[in-house]
Amino acid sequence: MNRILLVCLFISPFTWAEHNHVEDMSEHSHEGHLHETMVDGKNLDVNPERFDTFMEGLTGVNVAMVSVKGMVCDFCARGIEKTFSKDKSVMKIDVDLDSGKVMIAYPKTKEIDFDDIKKKILANGQNATELQILEA
Amino acid sequence: MYFSDSIQDSVYAHYSPSYKYSIGIEKADDKFSNTQQTSFRFTYLLNRKNRKGSQRNLYAQAGISLNNSDSTFYGIHGDWETRRLFSGFGYKEVQNKSVQDYSDQYMQLGVAPYLGDYGDLHTWIMVKTKKNSLTRGWSTYPVLKFFSGNALIEFGYNDKTEWDLHVVYRF
Repeated sequence: MNRILLVCLFISPFTWAEHNHVEDMSEHSHEGHLHETMVDGKNLDVNPERFDTFMEGLTGVNVAMVSVKGMVCDFCARGIEKTFSKDKSVMKIDVDLDSGKVMIAYPKTKEIDFDDIKKKILANGQNATELQILEA
Repeated sequence: MYFSDSIQDSVYAHYSPSYKYSIGIEKADDKFSNTQQTSFRFTYLLNRKNRKGSQRNLYAQAGISLNNSDSTFYGIHGDWETRRLFSGFGYKEVQNKSVQDYSDQYMQLGVAPYLGDYGDLHTWIMVKTKKNSLTRGWSTYPVLKFFSGNALIEFGYNDKTEWDLHVVYRF
């Protein structure tokens, strides 16, 4: 009996935490955020507030969300911004060091080429590993 | 790039056609020999490992004096860093037949007290230990590094080597 009680006591904090985590997730509303459609159907893997700030002043764009390996330093990531800024089709760029993501806004008429993005990231010495495209 | 320590003051301008290598010109005032050298420098990235939260680099470098072809150097340096932690090392062998050969080596560890966003002022608190064969013995001292945008400044002080100053601006 004591063993059962001990096991219950041990498990209960985790169960409580898990329960609350699920509740928190279900209660978290993205209502009001601008991201609605993921082209590839995956979940948006970026801070919603950051994304909304990025989208301010932008309409009719596709946003490339690029996962980048090795992007750990602001000073080293400067070249990424510089390289993409030279591309006239790029409307806006955001570097998120915390999540290792780069957001790039293109006009809807521009076809997003992941190979080209990979080349530009590699030119700065980092590796682009994944691309998600968001229509906004 | 401007660098100053107990051995030399130098100004270095370089160009990186690719992330794998850079070429540059260094003008140095040698405090030990009281000479001035202008050197051609070449740095090559031997190995880089990018991970989601870290980057590791290993570089080789070499240089030759434009004033005196008997004066050359070669070396290796590397680093590993995350958003929070930094470690680095370097070794350089300077051959200067008209004056005196020497070697220079260092290790450096650092921690970022806070994680700034892109564009913020970033700060590193570091400890550096270095040894130069001309001055003998290891010298260990604290170093502060700050960078924001395209500018970086790093300085350290100890009573044996006095000031270390490193300023970089990226164009």
